Amino acid sequence: MSVYDLLAKMGMGQLPEGYNKKIHGPYNPARYYGKPDIPLGQVKIKELGPWLARRNKDPVSIARLMSRGYHRWSQKYILARTGGLAGYTQLLVGISLFFYTINYCKYANHRNYKYHW
Amino acid sequence: MLSRFALNSSLPRVTCIRTCAVANTGDSGVERLIPAPTYPSKKAEQSPERDTKNFPRVKRPDEPGKCRLFFIPEEYFQFFYPKTGVTGPYVFGAGLMTYLFSKEIMVCEHEYYAGLTFALVIYMGIKLAGPELQTAINNGVKEEDDKYRNLKSNAVEVLEESIKDEKHAQWQAQGQKLLFDAKRENVAVQLEAAFRERQMAVYRAVKNRLDYKLEMDNVTRRFQHHHMVNWIVSQVRKSITPELEKKSINQSIQDLKNLAARV
Repeated sequence: MSVYDLLAKMGMGQLPEGYNKKIHGPYNPARYYGKPDIPLGQVKIKELGPWLARRNKDPVSIARLMSRGYHRWSQKYILARTGGLAGYTQLLVGISLFFYTINYCKYANHRNYKYHW
Repeated sequence: MLSRFALNSSLPRVTCIRTCAVANTGDSGVERLIPAPTYPSKKAEQSPERDTKNFPRVKRPDEPGKCRLFFIPEEYFQFFYPKTGVTGPYVFGAGLMTYLFSKEIMVCEHEYYAGLTFALVIYMGIKLAGPELQTAINNGVKEEDDKYRNLKSNAVEVLEESIKDEKHAQWQAQGQKLLFDAKRENVAVQLEAAFRERQMAVYRAVKNRLDYKLEMDNVTRRFQHHHMVNWIVSQVRKSITPELEKKSINQSIQDLKNLAARV
């Protein structure tokens, strides 16, 4: 078994299971082809636990989630016909937040006040 | 016609790619490492299995998604509206930031101020050069769009022209029907002429033979007649003796005398 076959068995480079070309037409990488759950925006606080429990948490699913998110964002803000700054500003803000988060331990040393009421 | 030709000529190529992709799979039971090309086709889109209502084709948006404050998506604000009204998201944002700053969860160290300065400079840059840059970029996009649109419209034009030519040719072919009829009639006339000619030839041949036969009969009869006459004359001559001659001459003289007396 070659490395490629192994990766393919793990699901890399493969179409997702729910996708059927005859029904769904051309493949859209931004779309989830499984059974849709309630959108996060409509979930009640008390339903949040079960909702989170229903998520797939294996690495392939998480990778697919991130891929879908990237494609959805890209199709909405970057690939539009006329240009706009929103996507790039979001990218800047996102990068800032990311690096702020990973460097937070360092920044925390720069606090000016010892006590907060 | 052209399109059909193009389709026919492109089909073997597509199937080749398909088979190549399938041939790539190896024997490990993995169906396909490189997915076969999913060319969108009109036929597949119109098949009864296709669910175009829930899974429509992706359409490229003309404008990017709407944002407020440069980067916060409009949808986040819409999410607040049913519960909090239009000021809700701003109050929430301001409150959150106040909380973060107040408790120094969001630490304002030197890089934070550097970031603020960058943001200010970028904002000024956008305000100064933004509109011009936007027009230039949009013009570039438009140019590219027009390029492909022209390619498409030119191709459509050419194909429509060829369809028109084809229809014209069909119309001309219909006009040929008259000519075909005339030619057919011509051929019929020629056939009739040849038939009559041959009939004439047959008639002549038969007539010649009959004429020959008649002539033969005539000649035979004439010869027979001639021969008979000769024979009879010779026999008669042979039978005439001098006495008989003398007697006949006397008889003749007598007859003449009788005639003379009567006259």
